Amino acid sequence: MNKDISLVVNGEARYINVPADKTLLDMIREDLNLKGTKKGCDAGDCGACTVLLDAEPVNSCLVLAVEAANKEVTTIEGLAKGGELHPIQAAFIKHGAVQCGFCTPGMVLAAKAILDKNPNPSVEEIKEGIAGNFCRCTGYKKIVDAVLASGRNIQG
Amino acid sequence: MNYQTVGHGLVKIDVMEKVTGTAPYVDDLVMPGMLIGKVLRSPYPHAAIKRIKIEKAQALNGVKAVITNQDTPRVKWNSAGFPPSQGAILVEDQYILTDRARFVGDGVAAVAAVDEKTAQLALDLIEIEYEKLPHVLGQDKAMEPEAPIIHEGVEKNIVGHLPIVIGDVEQGFKEADFIFIDKYTCQRVNQVSIEPCGAVVALYDANGRLNLWTSTQMPHLVRRIVARAMDMPVGKVRLIKPHVGGGFGSRLGAVNEPIAAMLSKATGKPVKLIYSREESFVGSESRHPIIMELKTGVKKDGTFTARQMTAYIDAGAYATHTPSFAGPVGGWFLAMYKSPNVKYDGYSIYTNTPPCGAFRGYGNPQVVWAVESQVDEIAERLGLDPREIRLRNHPCKGEVWAWSGWEIESCGLEEAIERGSQSIGWENRIRQGSNTKENSNQGQETVHKVGPETKKKGIGMAYMMHVSGARPMLHETGSAFIKMNEDGSVNVVYSSSDCGQGSSTALSQIAAEELGLPINMVHITQFADTDTAPFDIGSHASRQIYSGGNAVKVAAGIVKKQVLEHAATMLEVSASDLAIENGQIICLQDETKTKSVAEVAYNALYGTNGFEISGVASLEPPGNPPVYAAQFVEVEVDTETGIVKVIKVAAAHDVGTAINPVCVEGQIEGAVQQGLGYALTEEMVFDEMGRLQNPNLTDYKILTVKDMPEIDSIVVQAASQTGPFGAKSVGESGLVPTAAAVGNAIYDALGIRIKDLPITPEKVLGLLKAKS
Repeated sequence: MNKDISLVVNGEARYINVPADKTLLDMIREDLNLKGTKKGCDAGDCGACTVLLDAEPVNSCLVLAVEAANKEVTTIEGLAKGGELHPIQAAFIKHGAVQCGFCTPGMVLAAKAILDKNPNPSVEEIKEGIAGNFCRCTGYKKIVDAVLASGRNIQG
Repeated sequence: MNYQTVGHGLVKIDVMEKVTGTAPYVDDLVMPGMLIGKVLRSPYPHAAIKRIKIEKAQALNGVKAVITNQDTPRVKWNSAGFPPSQGAILVEDQYILTDRARFVGDGVAAVAAVDEKTAQLALDLIEIEYEKLPHVLGQDKAMEPEAPIIHEGVEKNIVGHLPIVIGDVEQGFKEADFIFIDKYTCQRVNQVSIEPCGAVVALYDANGRLNLWTSTQMPHLVRRIVARAMDMPVGKVRLIKPHVGGGFGSRLGAVNEPIAAMLSKATGKPVKLIYSREESFVGSESRHPIIMELKTGVKKDGTFTARQMTAYIDAGAYATHTPSFAGPVGGWFLAMYKSPNVKYDGYSIYTNTPPCGAFRGYGNPQVVWAVESQVDEIAERLGLDPREIRLRNHPCKGEVWAWSGWEIESCGLEEAIERGSQSIGWENRIRQGSNTKENSNQGQETVHKVGPETKKKGIGMAYMMHVSGARPMLHETGSAFIKMNEDGSVNVVYSSSDCGQGSSTALSQIAAEELGLPINMVHITQFADTDTAPFDIGSHASRQIYSGGNAVKVAAGIVKKQVLEHAATMLEVSASDLAIENGQIICLQDETKTKSVAEVAYNALYGTNGFEISGVASLEPPGNPPVYAAQFVEVEVDTETGIVKVIKVAAAHDVGTAINPVCVEGQIEGAVQQGLGYALTEEMVFDEMGRLQNPNLTDYKILTVKDMPEIDSIVVQAASQTGPFGAKSVGESGLVPTAAAVGNAIYDALGIRIKDLPITPEKVLGLLKAKS
């Protein structure tokens, strides 16, 4: 059974006809053709598919597409504005926090959710906020450094 | 040495794409008419397929192909990514889809359909009549006389026996003051790249060429394996590698490319085959469990008289890497410590479990776990500082490294041990006296450390050596082609197998340094394409910087020579008077005589007798200089729960010249995460029917950010003589000594020695109970 939904994706209104059992992740990747959101497990374990749903980070593989109706979705493609990287993205680059890059979009969005609520989080708060996002390349050290630094950046 | 580009922590070349989500990985590719592939897997650990009915699946609307063993080419093949070499023992024992299931998860059929749902439904409609056969799990049990035979003609399931004998160990044991006999074991662990292993799009095109877009570490060798499995000429296969979401060895050979290739050949359409997380656990190769029996003879002064190891290696159901892998296992063992007498026997044993293959370190983490745990005990018995016994017995610069048989070019172990000790506070450990001869027999009294009574702290260390390439075990041909554009920039065409580690960036730095160009004038191929990129054996054996770097540097040298010669003609001076600095030709005698490299390149292309400035290098690297590391770990163990908390890891690594220090740190830090998982939390658990119980990231525990300790990555740079700008390697080594260092720290804290990985709370509590 399909449903018509409307939602806002990266600031743009979208109207989509989706099967009721389709996940938000599959809708983002297949229907919206936004490939930056990654599928690492399809079971809510790894966090690679993290997007913001009304500013809250969610594993988009655990959310049905129809649950996003009338909500605002932010994916990694929605972060850089007018050719300018978001400060978190810039900090990930500066601090060497990116290796294979497969966890990066989810990690950046999880970090954004932390910083949107608290522009100056402690290391412990950062760790809590990205605890659901697995990385197998970096040992997380440079990721935490990047989030910490971008917190300071955003603050000014 | 001061370099313009080398040695600087430059931003990696692929990060803009990655932080913006625009970097394409295989699953992001979409092609017209593309079908989705799925694999049907055996539910039994060992079973013959008596009958297989596919008609219902074929009849399902949207199904385009259903294939079984009967459709596969009649050639047996081996999935391991080896160049034919003296050290490659390639037992060919599998079909693309099997007619006899040898593990739970063995692929027995595959379908291609218009979408994933239809493909899944089709799998459910395939009817198979199995004849269940007796199965065996565990390499020790598989060798017993009554064990069922997994491959006809392979007695006791021993598919390989590799012996090494140096001197006479029996004589050496007679000369020893002490003999230590121990058995160490370790578990099976999975690489868990965040992009699940097994991601390919195959297109068998109308011209009869097979095109593969696949997530791989070795484009050229996988092309060769697929050609063999498909029984077609190598030149008819084209392999393209987009971004790779982590490798760590899991993509060191063919994974599911041949299945996708068959489905595409059957349909004439592009077929995407992406393994789920669960499939990537059972459908790709994991780290070998090994039972290691050690016997070591030592003199009172801490020198070794004889060292012996017998290794029983669980190959899983197919040979793939294992009989060859037994070689490096022996190599790691015999090369760690100097001893006049050494004996090694490595047995490769089939079991009814998924095949084992390459995982970062390639046997070294297993060997170092055993050897460095035992050496810790030896040091204690002899009253030696654990650092001292390593410093006395490790092979050093100027000596022959037994792994390769070649002279060691440089050694930074002493510095690594010194700086690691400082970082972890080793002197405090000694002051607390848990490790000196005088109090080593005082039991638990000596191990009480600062902190609450039930929590004990301890510090341990371990050392390792590793390779910078695969020679002389394997032929290691690598190539680079560099051409200069009319703006003075260069394209470095390299069979890139960067999986995120940053090798493409570091290779660009090597090219820029050699050419005297700023880094933004170097454009390296990020997507290897075997139709256009020159041959290279891929990203393994930590070889990209040493081996690939040598090829890039030589090619850059050829280009540089052409630039200078052409500039010399233009400026009417001698080429030997010219140099390139930051993209500008400088005349050492006359500073008014100058041109930009762009002007020279333009003139070469469009001037009289035009030509393109370009150079190609294809070579085997000159050597294989070993790297050294010493890791120091501080733990706190809760004696009530058995939980081990790692407080700090000081990882001191001699990598030769660090081409990009930020990437080097990243390699070490990431490897430590994997090493700690290996030590403490990661294990693939099978039930008695050979079913993997935890093929997901809830039950298979890799470390999250909250589990990570403080990591101090210490980069020691004992430059090699033959590496590009003195570089050696870093890729694999970061996790090699970690588990042993953790085990030794736990011993320091509690006085208990756990000999089987992972070190779970249950094992800690069990030994604590036994001790009291």
